[in-house]
Amino acid sequence: MKSARLFIAGVALGALSAFAIGPAQAGRDRLVVDLVNEPSSLDPHVQWNPDSYYVYRNIFDNLLTRDDAGNIAPQIATSWKQLSDTEIEFTIRDDVTFHDGRKLTPEDVVYSVTRITDPKFGSPQLGQFNKITGAQASGPNTVKLTTDGPYPALLAQLVKLSIVPKHVVEAVGKDAFNQKPVGSGPYLFEGWQRGVQVALKRNDAYWGPKGKFPAAIFRAVPDAATRVANLQAGSSDLGVSLDSDQAAQLKSSSRAKPLAVLTERVAYLRLNPSKPPFDNADVRRAVAYAVDKEGLIEGVLGGYDKAVPIMLTPVHVGWVEGVKAPAYDPAKAKALVAKAGAAAKAEIELATAPVFDQRVVQAVQQMLTDVGLNVKIAMSDMASYLKRAQSGPETVPSLSFGRWSCACQDADGVIFPLLHKSSGWSAYRNTKADELLEAARATLDESKRIAAYKQVHEIVADEVPLVPLYQSAIIYGAANALQWKPTPNESMFLNRMDWKD
Amino acid sequence: MRSFLLRRLGQAVVTLFGVATLIFFLQRLTGDPTYLLVPETATPADIEAMRRTLGFDRPLIVQYLSFLADLARFDLGRSVVQNVPVSTIIASRVPYTLMLAGGALLVACGIGIPVGIALALWRENPVSRALAGLVLAAQSMPTFWSGILMIMVFAVTLRWLPPSSTGGVEHLIMPSIALGLLSMATFARITRTALLDELSKDYVRTARARGASRRWILVRHLARNAAIPVITVAALEISNLLAGAVIVETVFAWPGLGQVTVQSILARDFLVVQGVVLLGAFVTIGLNVLADILYSIVDPRIRLDGVAR
Repeated sequence: MKSARLFIAGVALGALSAFAIGPAQAGRDRLVVDLVNEPSSLDPHVQWNPDSYYVYRNIFDNLLTRDDAGNIAPQIATSWKQLSDTEIEFTIRDDVTFHDGRKLTPEDVVYSVTRITDPKFGSPQLGQFNKITGAQASGPNTVKLTTDGPYPALLAQLVKLSIVPKHVVEAVGKDAFNQKPVGSGPYLFEGWQRGVQVALKRNDAYWGPKGKFPAAIFRAVPDAATRVANLQAGSSDLGVSLDSDQAAQLKSSSRAKPLAVLTERVAYLRLNPSKPPFDNADVRRAVAYAVDKEGLIEGVLGGYDKAVPIMLTPVHVGWVEGVKAPAYDPAKAKALVAKAGAAAKAEIELATAPVFDQRVVQAVQQMLTDVGLNVKIAMSDMASYLKRAQSGPETVPSLSFGRWSCACQDADGVIFPLLHKSSGWSAYRNTKADELLEAARATLDESKRIAAYKQVHEIVADEVPLVPLYQSAIIYGAANALQWKPTPNESMFLNRMDWKD
Repeated sequence: MRSFLLRRLGQAVVTLFGVATLIFFLQRLTGDPTYLLVPETATPADIEAMRRTLGFDRPLIVQYLSFLADLARFDLGRSVVQNVPVSTIIASRVPYTLMLAGGALLVACGIGIPVGIALALWRENPVSRALAGLVLAAQSMPTFWSGILMIMVFAVTLRWLPPSSTGGVEHLIMPSIALGLLSMATFARITRTALLDELSKDYVRTARARGASRRWILVRHLARNAAIPVITVAALEISNLLAGAVIVETVFAWPGLGQVTVQSILARDFLVVQGVVLLGAFVTIGLNVLADILYSIVDPRIRLDGVAR
C-alpha cells in the first residue's frame, strides 16, 4: 500500500533527525535543571520572566547582587557613594573580563544603563530603571548615575541590571546577541536547541567564586508531574515550581528532596472601594475578619507559606512589626455584614486567573460566603486578568486575588503601585495615603521612609483596600546530592550550588 | 488531472486567506500580550511605550494589511515574546511534531488495522472480542493519565526508558504509544466496517463460488477496496495527530508544535499562533488533496477531473 510506504518514509526521516541530538542525562559533571518553559530570550535586557533570568543571570554579572542572607552586596560595583540626593557613584571592578576576553570597563556599565533605559529600545524592564536619567563614566573605574529625584529603591533595582559588552552588542546587533549572548558571568553560553534546552559551560576564568559544575543544562519541562518524575528517575538534578503535593511525593523518594523558600511574593485580596458592596468600609472590614489565613496555609497550601498582617514580607524594606491588623474573627465579620444590611448582599465578583492556586480562591469564596457575602468566582486568562486589573476604579473587579512581587524587596515596588492614585492597579483613593507614599519615595532616609510606610500599613488595616494574605513559598525539587539554599528573590545562581559528598 | 489540481489550488489559496483573516481578528479580540511581558510594577506609561514598540498601538486595519503584505512575501513575522522570527520557531518544532506523529501513526496503524481485520474476519471469536475491549480501553484513557502512568512504571520504577524530553529513539517510544493509542480504535473500527461492507458484496460471493481461497480474496480484492475509507481516515487522523498532540507533548516535555502553540496562545504571542494555524491549514488542505490523488491510484475508476472514462 502506497500510503503505508509514505508513512514509513516519514517516520524514517524523523528518526534520522532524532539521532542527531544527544540525550541529556544528569551526572556529576553536568547539572540538569528542569524549567517550566524555555527562556524566551537570553539577552538580559529584552524580557522579564523567571525562566529567562534563571538562565541568563549565570551568563551575565549584575551591577550589584544580593547575598544568601538577602543583603545588597557588591558584584561588578565594589562600592558606591551617594554624591547628592540624585547622584550616586559606583566604583567598578577592574579585574573582570567578558567571555570573549575583552575587559569589562565603566563604558560597558554606562552602555548597559543607557540601553535598557532608552524608551526606543522598548525593554519590558524599562519601568524598573527609568528613574535613572543619566549615566556617565566619571573616572577610569567609576560610573556616576543620575536619577530624576531621590530614588530610595535604586540599589534594589540595580541588583537586576545585567552588564552587557558594548563592543559585542554594537558589532553583532540585538538579534544575533540574543541568540549568542556574551557576558562576564560564572558560566558561558554554549548552545541553544530551541524548544529543547540551553547548554552552559563553566567560565574557568571567572573573577569571582567559580562554579562547581563543569556544565549545566536548562530544559523546558512544562508539566510539574513530569518534572517530579525526572527527579525521581535521576534524569534531572533540579526542578522548579512544584506544589505541596508534589513536595510530599518527593519526600518519599530515595533520590530527590523538596527545597522550599519563602519569597518576596505576597498573596493578597484587592477590594474595589468604588463598587458596591465595598463602597461600605464595614463590608471591606468584614472581608478582612472573614479570611482564615492560617486555615488556608495549613489546609490548602501544605504549610509552606506564611501569613502576613501587612502587604509586605519580612524581606522587604518597609516591613514593620506590630501593626494592628484585623485577625480571623468570623463572628465579628458576620456582625459587620449584618450591620451593613441589604447593601452587603450585592454580588461580589472574585477575579482570578489560571496561574493562581484555585483551591485558595475557592476557599476564600467559601469563607466569605460563610459570613454572609455573595461571592462569584470569575476566572479569565492571565492577559485579560492583568488588563482589567489595571484599568482603573470603574472597571477593576470588586474583588481580586493576586500575588505581587516587585523583584526589588522594597515597599515602594509593592504598596505604591497597589494604592497610589497614579497607578493603574489602584482602585483606592486616599489623599493621606498618597502623600505618605510620595514622601517615602522622595527621601533616602530609611527611618523616615519606614515611619511613613507604617502609617500606610495602618491605613490599609483600618480601611481595607487590600487584605494581605500570606508570603508565598516556592518549592523546588532537588537531587539529594545537591546543596543549595534558594533565596527569596527567586534567583538561581549555579556558582552558589555544590554537590554534597 | 491538471484542471483538477488548478481548481484545488485556487480553493486552497482562498481557504488559507480566510483562515488567515479569521485567526488574525479572533486573536485580536482576546486581549493584548503587552501586559504579560512587563513586570507588575510597570506604570501605564511603561505599558503604552511597550505597546508602541511592538506595534500594537496601530489601528487594527493597518496591522491587518501589514500582516497580509508580509504573508504575501512568505514572512510570518517575529515572536514578540521570544524575539526571533516565527519561521525559526516553527522550523525548530516541526521535526519533533513529525517524529511524534509518525511514531503514533505507526502504533495506531500497526495495532489498529490488524485488530480491525481480526474483528471483521473472526467476529464470534472470544480472542477478537477481548482485543476489541482492549482497544476501547486504550482509547478511553486520557493521555495526561496514561502518559504519567507510563512514566512512573517504565522510567521511574523499571528504569527502562527515559522519563521525558528528547534524545535517541528511546525517547520517542512512550510519547508515540500515548498518542497512538487514541487513534488506534478509530483505525480498528474503520477497517472492520470497510471489510465487512466488502465481504457482503457480490464479487466476493462470485470469487468464492469460483473457488478462490479466502486468502486470495482478502489480498487480491478486499484489501484494495477496503483501503479507501482507511486512507480517508488516515488523512484526517494525521491532521489530528499533528494538532492533537498538545497534552502528550506537555506530559513528555516533547518540543513539538502543539506545545509551542498552547504556550503562544497563553502568552498572546499572536504571530506565532498565526504561523502555526496557517501551517496547520496548509497541511490539512494538502493532505486532503493527497488523499484524493491516492484514491485514484488505489481505485482507477475514481477520476480526478470528474469526466467519465
